[in-house]
Amino acid sequence: MFRTTGRALLGAALSGAVVVVGLADPATAKSKDVKVEISDDGCPAKLTIKAGPNTFKVTNSGSGDVSEFEILSGNRIIGEVENVAPGLNKAFSLTLKPGNYTTKCPGGSEHSTGKLVVRGSTDTKLSADGKAAVDQYRQYLEAQTAELVTTTKGFTDAVDAGNLDQAKALYAPSRVAYERIEPVAETFGDLDPKIDAREGDVPKNAWGGYHYIEQKLWVDGTTNGLSSYTKDLNDNVATLQNLVKDVDLQPAGIANGAVELLNEVSRSKITGEEERYSRTDLVDFEANVQGAEAAYDAVKPILQKKNPQLVADLDANFAAVYAALQPYKTGDTYVAYTALTDDDTKALSQVIDALAEPLSKVSKQVVGS
Amino acid sequence: MNARSVSRRAFLGTAGAGALAATVALGTDALAHPPGAGAAVPKGLDAAVPFEGAHQAGIVTPVQDRLLFASFDVVSDDRTALVQMLKDWTSAARRMAAGEMIGTDNDDLVAPPDDTGEAQDLGPQSLTLTFGFGTSLFDRADDPFGIAARKPDALAPMPAFARDEIRPEMSEGDLAIQSCANDPTVAFHAIRDLARIGRGVVALRWSQQGFGRTSVTDTNQVTPRNLMGFKDGTNNIVVEDTGALDDHVWVGPKDDPDWMRGGSYLVTRRIRMMLEIWDRSTLSDQELTFGRNKGEGAPLGAHEEHDAVNLKATKDGALLIPENAHIRLAAPAANDGVRILRRGFSFTDGIDPVTNQLDAGLFFIAYQRDPRTGFIPVQRHLATDALNEYIRHESTGTFACPPGVGAKGFVGETLFD
Repeated sequence: MFRTTGRALLGAALSGAVVVVGLADPATAKSKDVKVEISDDGCPAKLTIKAGPNTFKVTNSGSGDVSEFEILSGNRIIGEVENVAPGLNKAFSLTLKPGNYTTKCPGGSEHSTGKLVVRGSTDTKLSADGKAAVDQYRQYLEAQTAELVTTTKGFTDAVDAGNLDQAKALYAPSRVAYERIEPVAETFGDLDPKIDAREGDVPKNAWGGYHYIEQKLWVDGTTNGLSSYTKDLNDNVATLQNLVKDVDLQPAGIANGAVELLNEVSRSKITGEEERYSRTDLVDFEANVQGAEAAYDAVKPILQKKNPQLVADLDANFAAVYAALQPYKTGDTYVAYTALTDDDTKALSQVIDALAEPLSKVSKQVVGS
Repeated sequence: MNARSVSRRAFLGTAGAGALAATVALGTDALAHPPGAGAAVPKGLDAAVPFEGAHQAGIVTPVQDRLLFASFDVVSDDRTALVQMLKDWTSAARRMAAGEMIGTDNDDLVAPPDDTGEAQDLGPQSLTLTFGFGTSLFDRADDPFGIAARKPDALAPMPAFARDEIRPEMSEGDLAIQSCANDPTVAFHAIRDLARIGRGVVALRWSQQGFGRTSVTDTNQVTPRNLMGFKDGTNNIVVEDTGALDDHVWVGPKDDPDWMRGGSYLVTRRIRMMLEIWDRSTLSDQELTFGRNKGEGAPLGAHEEHDAVNLKATKDGALLIPENAHIRLAAPAANDGVRILRRGFSFTDGIDPVTNQLDAGLFFIAYQRDPRTGFIPVQRHLATDALNEYIRHESTGTFACPPGVGAKGFVGETLFD
């Protein structure tokens, strides 16, 4: 499924969005001084500082109406000074992670609260384990995109040859490699919508790609008039194959990508919204899970050292998902989405949620590796 | 019953301080945090209700304005995982009851926050979380949790009653949580985050939102009205009536099984009200149906809400409170003295898609020492209730709510330890 919101997933650097990795190490990093001046107005409206150890040096330029400075994370006070009389200065130290915090100066006439933005420094140096994870996952990306180029060609050849039955048979398998790595494709601007947009996702005259052809094959029952669409599709998957070679990968981003693939399942496969005409949603479902597992496998050695219990839980949860899918398998494909009852989709949804929740805790464990 | 004067309504919102302190023996940790700091009891609607105590909160503690009730299926056969989840639920519930965010990490950009965050500015809002175990947890095939032998006799299957239209998919369940608060977001947040913590061990089975409490458990609260416009909780058991609580609500110190001592049995019923029909009936019909007048809430033949119900009073040879009036059939005097503690809420779930009528009514909640001598005989007795013409029971639930926990315990420890 194509999404219009371009969240940073795997290729943080390419998308331009910020996924902060490599948090400053409090043990070795030197504390930075942050000058804070409180007044009768209250706090500074906004402070922007760098992550890591910071020493807040608070002075009071007011008449004494305001004499306290607090830093809050959510509704928790994580650091404060009190009784900062005019002319005095007081200091406190705090090691801060990147994020948005609130400052409070009770009694301030203008800014009794202020903003504190903590920015993270992006450290791209990888450990040996981190590098191994990135290398393993890059190999997977390259293998999958190579397969995608081949399977897409096979599918479009059948369309171009006017062989409707064969085209329909090849449609779902040709997309499997794409569904395994979709979050990566989504980081490349408009490439994902060109390949995978559904009707209504993009303006009508811009719609092409897999689902356009799917609609023609199943709804109109024809292979006619598709030659420019099959050519574009092949060009676009070839572009994807080239782009993944240089995509910037980080262990935490790979782990997030695994979660994103399961979110794809929850959002559009379990609801049957992905393959509106071919009803091959369960084929995509399995491919998303396989892709999530491949991403998880890449970071697993790091995770094994940090949290072996989480590894054991996730291994069991992946197995539970495959077991839940098993009854719907027929040969090497799956029953149509329309064959599922509400109880079936409910059970499938639950095993995905049970896997995705602990999986969402992995990125934090492997960040900076 | 407690005689009260109308003037006490002015105290709505101030909790029954002394009485509450008496029932909550162990609540200390939850009070160590603002805004309840230093106070032994809640001061206002937004204050914290102690989570810890001899009994679970949310039974006799003052009824809040909002409910989210959730029933769960246990989807794992792993006893260790189930017990760990109960421990995690308990520690999260402790924090939420004190108005604190849950978990340890809520400001890390590279991880999903432990707390989903929507209630972080709202304070405790008198949140109570009350946990119960359903019949099916004990009856599970192969007894993976090793608790079949500990199933209380009182946790019997709910019998079918006349006129029941029970929908199994929104009834019963392995576990239940009653989340009550004076803010709907706080009540929702608790269930949402507990369901998230339990993912992989439990899955939500059904839930019910409620608003506008329909009964009081505290003499300082004014008797509210149900959606039919009547006061129907007047003779409820209140927290000040400790004798009645011991006799009718709490599982006694010599009752079996021992793990339920200090606990209580919860019965829920989703009672749909056919409001369009009700609204077409005359005031006289409405009053004869309940056996109370609508304006004051006084029993028919009496003048004030808390006047004694005189079931024998007649006028011109006819009973003032008819044979089939709700108040007569439900009265303890007509039920061998049986009393149950009611804690229900009004609900609406929008529009009935078939009839386009309001899907609204009463989510009935009752706590009792034993449903076999509590709700079940009373409900049997209501088979001829005039009210039945206007209502429909659509969901049922029976849950064993274990005793409260101390500073270190977890909910259900008496069952699983």
